[in-house]
Amino acid sequence: MNGTRPQGCCAVAAWLGLGGRWFVGGLLIYMGLVKGLDPVGFLKLVRQYELVQTPWLLNALAATLPWFEVFCGALLFAGVAVRGAALSLLAMLAPFTVLVLKRALEIQAAAALPFCSVKFDCGCGMGEVYICHKLAENLLLIVFAAWLVTGQGRQWAARYRLFQ
Amino acid sequence: MSADFKATDRAPGAHGSGFSGVLLEAGVVALVGVALAFLANAVSPRGLALGQDYFPRANRGPRAAVTVTNVEQVTAVTPSTGGAEGDPVAARLAEQNLVMADLARTLELFRDPRFGQGKIVFVDARNDELYQAGHIPGAYQLDYYRAANYLGQVLPACLTAERVLVYCIGRECEDSEFAAILLRQAGVANEKLLVYPEGFTEWSARQLPVATGPQRGMPEVTP
Repeated sequence: MNGTRPQGCCAVAAWLGLGGRWFVGGLLIYMGLVKGLDPVGFLKLVRQYELVQTPWLLNALAATLPWFEVFCGALLFAGVAVRGAALSLLAMLAPFTVLVLKRALEIQAAAALPFCSVKFDCGCGMGEVYICHKLAENLLLIVFAAWLVTGQGRQWAARYRLFQ
Repeated sequence: MSADFKATDRAPGAHGSGFSGVLLEAGVVALVGVALAFLANAVSPRGLALGQDYFPRANRGPRAAVTVTNVEQVTAVTPSTGGAEGDPVAARLAEQNLVMADLARTLELFRDPRFGQGKIVFVDARNDELYQAGHIPGAYQLDYYRAANYLGQVLPACLTAERVLVYCIGRECEDSEFAAILLRQAGVANEKLLVYPEGFTEWSARQLPVATGPQRGMPEVTP
């Protein structure tokens, strides 16, 4: 928490990093809790992606992903291991976004809808969402997480680096 | 409060410096996060049983030994919702060797005097919240995903019944089918089992009798 006070654009970046960290951290905690408190509902949604056929693996994914999301969100919110948490978030978000896109394309093909009219519950914790909104939101989160990985978001971080 | 910009973040040789440091940090976050996530699932009363197959399929496990030979059951395959061809729900039920009941058949069973005598049993495969918000009067609850909590009460009733009709929300909901398979695996004869795929959505939309709360709320027997 000590160091040189950032000036000019660095100050803007610092506050943007803090605001973004809190926003993304809060969002992850909220979405993770929604899913974690209804694991059966989330299990059914994960199943629709046909990622795995082995029951225990499917159960393990559905049982752990929401709580892992809450954990990463809490780390980002508090500013603990920020780059590591952001990289973990990136590793979750990027493949998930591809899966959501793939699923949306399947629905679009089946229902013969315009792409942005496709609306479904992607298992994100927000209920049914329009695919274009969801993709935009995920891309924003991916860009922000990548930005944090590069070393941003130190403002008011409880322990920015895990290993000092 | 001020931003913390340390030059040592990228100092060579520093523990966790550079991108390898980020990777290491991410690895620790992932390990601790996954461990805590498993712990959270284990302590949560709503946690999933990791070893359980929640979605039984026809190509996994034994198919029902009993085949449908009863005329009454054959007629219970609803023409109104279509046959297996072109109807994914009908096809799925046929694949599971389960017989489908339409609203007319469900109402016939509901109004049958044997319903009040426990010879015809309705099973609601939805969760507590949905069951308590409204269910078919007299229906037992069997939340398929928390089956152990309900089987003690539901199974004896199903074993002694002549007919068991299982329903859930309707259409896209597969839980009635899974609950029927579970009952079959628990010893309920397949020829007794019927699945009402349109479920509570259709029932309530037709403004048919509904009971609320955790009690079954047996309907009055009408002649």
